[in-house]
Amino acid sequence: MNESNPHRLPIACLRLGAFLCFAGWTWVHYYWEGPYGVLLWQDATYDLATRLGLSWDEFVGTGADDGFVQKWIARIWWLYLACTLLTITVRKTSWVQMSGLVLGSGLLTLLSYASYVAAQRQLPMFIEHGGQMLIPLILVMALALGAGHRVTVTTAVIALIMTFAGHGCYAIGFWPTPGNFYAMTTLILGVEYSTAQVLLRTAGVLDLAVCVGICIPYLRRASALYATAWGFLTAIARPVAGMSWGLNYWGADQFLHESVLRAPHFAIPLFLFLLWRKPGEKKVSQGRQGASAELH
Amino acid sequence: MNLQPYKTAGLCCLVLLLGLTPAIAQQNAQRRPRRAVLEIPEVERSEVICFALYTVHDNTLKLTAQLYPLQSGESRTVRLEIETDGNWVEVARTNVVEPGWTAPFRVENWDDTRASNYRVVHGAEATYEGVIRKNPVDKDEIVVAGFTGNSIQPAHGGDISRQDLIDNVRKVDADVLFFSGDQVYDHNKHLAAWLKFGRDFGDIIKDRPTLCLPDDHDVGQPNLWGESGKISTLSGNADGGYRQPGIYVQEVERAQTSHFPDPVDPGKIGQGIGVYFTNLNWGNIDFAILEDRKFKTGPAGRVPKQGPRPDHIRNPDYDPDSVDVDGAILLGQRQLDFLDRWAQDWRDASMKVALSQTIFCGGAHIHGSANGRLHADMDSNGWPQTGRNRALQTLRKAFAFHYAGDQHLATIFHHGIDEHRDAIWSFCVPSIANLYLRWWEPLEPGQNREPGSPEYTGDHLDGFANKVTNYAAANPEKMPAGNVLNTRSAGFGIVRLNTQTRQITMECWPRNVDVTDPSAKQYPGWPRTISQFDNYNPPSWGKLGELTFDVDSPVVQLVDRDSNEILYTVRIAGKTFVPAAPKDKTFIIKAGKDAPETIVVKDAKVGGAAQSVSLK
Repeated sequence: MNESNPHRLPIACLRLGAFLCFAGWTWVHYYWEGPYGVLLWQDATYDLATRLGLSWDEFVGTGADDGFVQKWIARIWWLYLACTLLTITVRKTSWVQMSGLVLGSGLLTLLSYASYVAAQRQLPMFIEHGGQMLIPLILVMALALGAGHRVTVTTAVIALIMTFAGHGCYAIGFWPTPGNFYAMTTLILGVEYSTAQVLLRTAGVLDLAVCVGICIPYLRRASALYATAWGFLTAIARPVAGMSWGLNYWGADQFLHESVLRAPHFAIPLFLFLLWRKPGEKKVSQGRQGASAELH
Repeated sequence: MNLQPYKTAGLCCLVLLLGLTPAIAQQNAQRRPRRAVLEIPEVERSEVICFALYTVHDNTLKLTAQLYPLQSGESRTVRLEIETDGNWVEVARTNVVEPGWTAPFRVENWDDTRASNYRVVHGAEATYEGVIRKNPVDKDEIVVAGFTGNSIQPAHGGDISRQDLIDNVRKVDADVLFFSGDQVYDHNKHLAAWLKFGRDFGDIIKDRPTLCLPDDHDVGQPNLWGESGKISTLSGNADGGYRQPGIYVQEVERAQTSHFPDPVDPGKIGQGIGVYFTNLNWGNIDFAILEDRKFKTGPAGRVPKQGPRPDHIRNPDYDPDSVDVDGAILLGQRQLDFLDRWAQDWRDASMKVALSQTIFCGGAHIHGSANGRLHADMDSNGWPQTGRNRALQTLRKAFAFHYAGDQHLATIFHHGIDEHRDAIWSFCVPSIANLYLRWWEPLEPGQNREPGSPEYTGDHLDGFANKVTNYAAANPEKMPAGNVLNTRSAGFGIVRLNTQTRQITMECWPRNVDVTDPSAKQYPGWPRTISQFDNYNPPSWGKLGELTFDVDSPVVQLVDRDSNEILYTVRIAGKTFVPAAPKDKTFIIKAGKDAPETIVVKDAKVGGAAQSVSLK
């Protein structure tokens, strides 16, 4: 590790968040399939393929075999795996690796755009992926500019706001609250619909409050701490609600990645919280790290 | 160290990320078709009743009026009036049910021997008129118009007027309308979409019995394995259950099914969701109304992964038996018990038809927009195989014809269980507007094809190794020119059930044709006419001795003498009947005017002598 010590922990937090996010999506692409169908199976895409010189059969397959699209969708997981590894190996001076992570951000943005299109172009669907889209960039910024640099911090705040504003808009009902929000609330807490609705509305209000609070110096640490906790809880909600002893692998292959790839939802707030620790807390932390280094 | 280059690079990346990527993805935004704007319109208070659906069964009229949202302070009471001798007479009143704004009426001791004009009345201004038809028991031919997949998205022609469908239903004077599912594609605003459905189809619905089966999209999810009301959390919902809260599903079912005959087994399932499976007897046709999604098990985590989704099998070398797991349910025991009783009950019935959302096989090979080959799809009723076979075993005991939709691909299949063609026939109707393309395109030519028929017809095994025989498939074009309606194989079905000849004719029409125009062409493979008795006539069977009765069209039942198993029950056509039966077995034949109450032959065998039977 060559990050400066005061920022070692926050950057480790970003590394972890980006690692888990890419690892989760690697699993999706390797074990399942990337959600690109909504983008690929459009007239405009066929036209583009034609302009690039691909025949219809080459593009979609003959029916008896796979075409260009199926073959490449099946290979994309390599890119995500590479990005996953880059989150571990990237260093302050490694331009190539940083560029790879920036490209990884682009891949995640494409995924978010696919979700947005699949959701009938509901704006919160794109916005709520802000944390996932931006965490590789924030990691690169933290390494290149410094974790406490205003560009890094501002981008992290934007990412947090995007994630929580998107969630909040759905939870409050500005856009139709997704059925799985109710489903997870009901299953985990064992409450009826009416109670689940009240809880979701409340959570939505708090989500939006966090978006404001994170911009107010006196409230930003508390907001980041709440966002960390809530981001973690909502990330793990899917496996908690869906996994069961009766399923193959307890349903882990179905649900666990849904939690893992949402790691930025709590990693980015935690990064900010660690950055904004009071000086006393930082000294204690640094002292512990120093002692730990001496022991080694 | 000079950080300026890093700053610049970082900011450039941010701009690229937030601005350019979506911009590139939107490169064809100006050509992207419009999306449907789905809102509840403001209507005059005199127009607050949108439409009304009804059925009449067993002398009970059930009618549900669908209202636009009422304003605060407006009466919540709605009246049903019948025109008698030129005067409107109130026969029922009810309170509007919220959420959903439905007004369900129930009138017992309904005289179904004559037609009646009705009107639904709200307040002092709003009225909605229609006709309750007489029970067409005197008609030889009952016409059932079938629809599925009512997308309203402009991208594939969903915004094109339905007037052609309205006109054609009127021209054939359909006796029953059957909407097999996906009347609504919006996953969050069922009321708004249902009101639009009413505005589009209300003019034909108001004057004839109509059956709408809610399917996956109606209840707000892409696929549905209801698992008795479980809550689903997995994206795609293959974990089984409902994605939307139970209260949402209940509202959908109130809107679409509360006018059905009373459910035969009304116990609720999880989340307080009701059931509606039942039968409708109309024009001497006994329709079983099934819910083939509600009890079905979700595959995720229960079957070995074989493809890119928990419900998709891409591996052609997989073992089909490996997914037919213990405990996986299709119709569920409650519906099977109902079907068992229904199959033996031939009161006021000459023919039997099963209505459900989808067909009992994997009826397509290529899914999506030419999106590669899918070996098997567990969203179809081909899975679980044991449940599929149990359903078919029960339905064939009634010689039931199966009418369904959902697949977005019109097909005719003759199903097999132990051998090809030993069970019922099914007709899957095309979509009104086709959201998602599918093709029936087996890699190997079918066996035992009819002369001159396409290679995709004939005997096949579907992706679950179920035996199926295809007779027609309205495959869309691979690269649809224009990409709307008929190039995507949109259309509708008509089934003509002749209670005298016992013939069943399937017609499959494209959109925007005049079905009465002699030059109008159906999709290739249609029309096809079969006999009612083809629904259980295994090729390996032989014929028992001819029976001649002294009453017209009695009910006959064939029972295996050794196992006491009922092979089938049917109302025969006329006074003579040659029962089909397995070879090398002995059978008891029961018969009666309306129920098989009398043993008429104790030891019938294939190749036996003809006999005369008195039932007077």
